[in-house]
This record gives sequence, C-alpha cells and structure tokens, in this order.
Amino acid sequence: MTLYRYIVRRVLLLIPMLIGITVLSFILSHTIPADPIATNLGDRAAADPAIVAAFKHRWGLDQPLYKQYLVYLWHLMHGDMGTSISTRQPVVLDLRQHLPATIEISMAAMCLSLVAGIPLGMLAAVNRERPLDQAARLTSLIGVSTPAFWLGLVAIVIFYQRLGWAPAPARLSADLTPPPFITGFLPIDAIVSGRWDAALDWLRHLILPAVVLSAYSLGIVTRMMRGSMLEVLGEEYVRTARAKGVTRWAVIVRHAARNALIPVITMVGLSFGGLLSGAVVIETVFTWPGLGLYAFSSATSLDFPAIMGTGIVVASVYVIVNLVVDVAYAFSDPRIRVG
Amino acid sequence: MRAITAAESTAPQGATAVARPARRRRLLPKQLTGSPLALVALGMVAAWIAVAFLAPALAPYDPLSQSISARLTEPSAAHWLGTDPLGRDVFSRILYGARLSIPVGMIAVTLAVVLGTVIGGSAGFVGGTADEAIMRGTDLMLAFPTVILALVITAALGPGIRNAVIAIMVAWWPSYARLVRGIVLSLRDREYVMAARALGGSRLRIFLRHVLPGTISPVVILGTLDVGHAILTFASLSFLGLGPPPEIPEWGSMIAAGRNYLDQWWISTFPGLAILTLVLAFNVLGDGLRDLLDPRYRSR
Repeated sequence: MTLYRYIVRRVLLLIPMLIGITVLSFILSHTIPADPIATNLGDRAAADPAIVAAFKHRWGLDQPLYKQYLVYLWHLMHGDMGTSISTRQPVVLDLRQHLPATIEISMAAMCLSLVAGIPLGMLAAVNRERPLDQAARLTSLIGVSTPAFWLGLVAIVIFYQRLGWAPAPARLSADLTPPPFITGFLPIDAIVSGRWDAALDWLRHLILPAVVLSAYSLGIVTRMMRGSMLEVLGEEYVRTARAKGVTRWAVIVRHAARNALIPVITMVGLSFGGLLSGAVVIETVFTWPGLGLYAFSSATSLDFPAIMGTGIVVASVYVIVNLVVDVAYAFSDPRIRVG
Repeated sequence: MRAITAAESTAPQGATAVARPARRRRLLPKQLTGSPLALVALGMVAAWIAVAFLAPALAPYDPLSQSISARLTEPSAAHWLGTDPLGRDVFSRILYGARLSIPVGMIAVTLAVVLGTVIGGSAGFVGGTADEAIMRGTDLMLAFPTVILALVITAALGPGIRNAVIAIMVAWWPSYARLVRGIVLSLRDREYVMAARALGGSRLRIFLRHVLPGTISPVVILGTLDVGHAILTFASLSFLGLGPPPEIPEWGSMIAAGRNYLDQWWISTFPGLAILTLVLAFNVLGDGLRDLLDPRYRSR
C-alpha cells in the first residue's frame, strides 16, 4: 500500500468515527435528567406556548429520538450546537473561546514532558538497573501517582503565596486588558496586535499550571522512552556501529535514540486523552478558562447542549491527534504502510 | 535474550504470560520481593489496608465531630495534622478516608475488569461482524477522556460514591475489553481448544472452561496495577465535588475543602500526601507486576 492510499484510508475511517462520537455524545447527554425546555428558555419564555413550540420544532423535540439526533446532526453540520444554558451564548462560540486556552496549556505541558522525559528515559536505559535508572523510575512513578489538583494547590501555596514568584492563578493578570480576539490563542493574538506585555504576562501565568500538568505525562514519556531505548540498544545495528568504532554517546544519540523515539511519539498521541483529563482538574485549580473549566461548569449545571458540544469537540480532537500521529508514524516507518 | 523483533514486541502482552510453562509457585513473585523499593511499597499498601481496618481504633477523634473552638488549629500535640475549617481533626479524617478510597478503587476496577472481560472476551470468541462492531464501540469510548466521561456520567446520575464508581467503570471497561479480546484471539485457535471442539464441547463450554481462564492472570495483574489509578481518579472526581457529600471523610474532598484556606496549608497538604503514598505504593507494585507480564522488561 502506498503512503498516499494509507492516508486516504485513515482519513476515510475518521468519518464513521466522528459520526460515532456524535451518537455517543447525544446518548450521554440525553441521559441527563433535565428538562431542555425549562433549562434552555428560562421561566418567562417557557411560559409562552408559542416560543416553546418554536423551540421544540427547531430542535425536533416533538419528534422521536432518532429524528432528534438527525436534526442535531443537521444543525451540527451547519456549525450550530445549540445555545448554552448557563452562558446564554451559542455553544460553538463558547467552545471557540475556551478550546484555545486548553490547547495552550496541554501543548505546553506536552512539550515540557517531552523535553524532560526523553533525556531522562535515555539516561535510565543507558544506566539500566543502576542508581540513575532507579531514580528515573521512581521519579516517573511519583509523576503518575501525584494527584494533579493537589500538586497544583501546593504549587500555588509555595510559588504564589509564600515566595511570590508566580502571579495569581489566571490566564492573564486582571488589570491587563486582553488583546483583541483574533485566533483565540492568547500569545498569537497578543503578538499579532503588538501587545508584547500581554504575551509576556500570559507566559508568566502559563508556567505553573503547565509544569504541574506535565508531571503525569512526564512519567509516561520517561517510562516509554526507557523501554523503547532498551529494545533498540539490543539491536544488531547498534552493536555494529559500536564495533565500527563510533563513540558510545554518538551511538546512543544518533543511532539508538532516533529509532527509539518512534513508539514514544505514538504513545504521546494516545496519552493526549489523559492530558485532557488532567487539564479539567488543573484548569479548575488555576482558573484557566479552558475547555476543562467549561466542561466542569456545564456538567455541574446540567447544561447539556454545552456538555454535548464539549464531548464532541474533545473526542474529535483526540481522534484527529491520533490520526496525525499515525500518519507521521507511517512517514517515518515504512513497515507500517507495507503491512 | 534482549534482542526481540518488532513483530514479537507488538504481540499482546498477556499472550506470552499465558504461554509460559508453570514454575514452582511462590507466595509472591520475585519481581515483588526482589527489589527493596517493591518491598517498601508492599509494606505501604499493607499498612494502608491495616489503617482502613483499624481506623476506629487508631483515630484520636471522631472524624465527623466539629468543634468551633478548635477551628483551623495548626498541627500540634493535640491535633497531629491540625484541624479543618469546621474544627474536625485532619489526622482522624485521613485515617477514615482510607476506609473509603481503598475499597472504592478496588470495586471500581473489579467492575470494569468484569465488564471488559465479558464484552471483550465474547467479542474475540464470537468474531466476525459482532467483534468488529464491539471493538469499534470500544474505540469510540476510548476517544472520550476519562474525567470528561466521568463528569458527564456523574452529572447525569448525580454526585455520590456509587455514581462515581459507575463513572469509573464506564470509562475504563473498554481498555480491559481490548486486552481480553487480544488474549482470547490468541487462545481461540490453540490446539487444546481445537481438541476440546473436536471432542464435541459446546461453544459456551469451550469459552468458559478453556478460553476464559487463560485471560484471568494477565487481567488480574493489570487490574491490580490500576487500583492506584482508580483511587486517584476517584479523588479527582471528589475534588471536583462529584464524589461523596463533604461531611464524609474523603481525601479528594478534604483537599477541596482546603482550597479557600491556603494559609492553613495542612488542610490540603496531608490528605494529598495520603493519596500520593498509597497510589505510589500501588504503582510501584504494579510496575513490578508489569515486568512480570512483559518479557521485554524481565531480567534474564
């Protein structure tokens, strides 16, 4: 199979997956015991039969469930996910405002855990079963065992309250006017509109939550890199390179690590879901206005159009991230597409 | 031998563990008793389980009794780990918290394992379209991050211990289903299964008597190493207010109770350390068990 055909096949497989995601979100959000009319329209509008009828008709609520789903899908394809009960805004607009913040924090955490985890895993593998390996293993185990929300609070107490090194938990200082909304990504919007002060302020706010969030994925990356590295170091081409007289570290970095990275990248894609789960709690601790905070507030206020929209977006992001990872994998490892 | 081909390394982990010939049985596998770290972890888990059983005898105070005069007192001889905003003894509440977290973690994982084994096992054994449909379904479930799924489920069912357990179960069964299906597929066409079939065993009997037992050991091991993770997830849900009501001593909600009292650092810090030590101990044990399952990490 050529690379081109592989990609086309994977993209086509994405379509049933995305439809499945909408079905599952629809089912999940319909198990929520809330009256959509009362919650969507408010008291005065709900008392007006004409408005109620119009609302029911618009969302197909007077139709059987499968038709309601089709109506939802139809609206969804036109970029309409309904109106959030709590914010009174279109869900699509809400998501557009919240998603970038989550992407910022998860990408930052992912980068941090890769930057620290890859060398740590390499060192552990090279010093297999020696103290350094044990230390790396314990570090990664502590990383996956620490409650992120607790670590966040401890970090706030130490770095904000006691030492005063970190700013108050938020995405931007309260006394700073945010840059105009262009892409929704604060650093990009700030730089595009020449607001370097806002970009710097954002960075200062980002560090603490990103470090806390990265603790979990750091553990996973380290362990994966170690395992993958151990496997590669046993391969014959590594021994050949050593026998040719290539220095030890050149073999480790140039020959072994490059190949050991491939399975780690796949794992990064799969652990993205865990990162998003972590983001939900971290965002509530650091009042970071992302999708996690939005999902939390909509779930606790039974705001089901918002929950449904969040579910669809989050699951789709996960599926698409993994598609990208798989395609990148196929590019770097011809065995995948031949197989 | 360390060298291993890519094909072998991508084989389902459990298959190799099942195929291994029986050895002299030990009470505990060498991976658990060999390293000092694992021994410490084993002791830690045992200690926490003992605490859970003995909490009423060990706790110096009633975990529910409030005392206005003793609000927010610092750790002292009277209150080893201080008191919370309602004057309840943090140390006693932590001890009682173990009575909730450990069983909840175990029950949630057990339910997820049973559900995953039944669904994944039957999918793998039946095969064909049913298998395909079930596995696509699990793929779909796996696309939803655990906490988001659990948020929606607890929002739908209402907060509470039972619903938090249900949420964890619903979020986790797909990964066990995948694992069990993989093992069942590798066992289905083994000679002993074919022999049983040739002898005229019914499909159900073959599945229950000959295929399913082969999945038990790897699934039990993986389940054990997930108990720590389940405890952590339960604490996260409680922290978000989706667990038990606040008066019940639970570590996650205790941490949440300290959020507005950052100057009184002890309210949040100690329950967090309780979670960390228990989950870390489970994970260290699980790490050893994982080595047992995965021949790549097994020492010669």
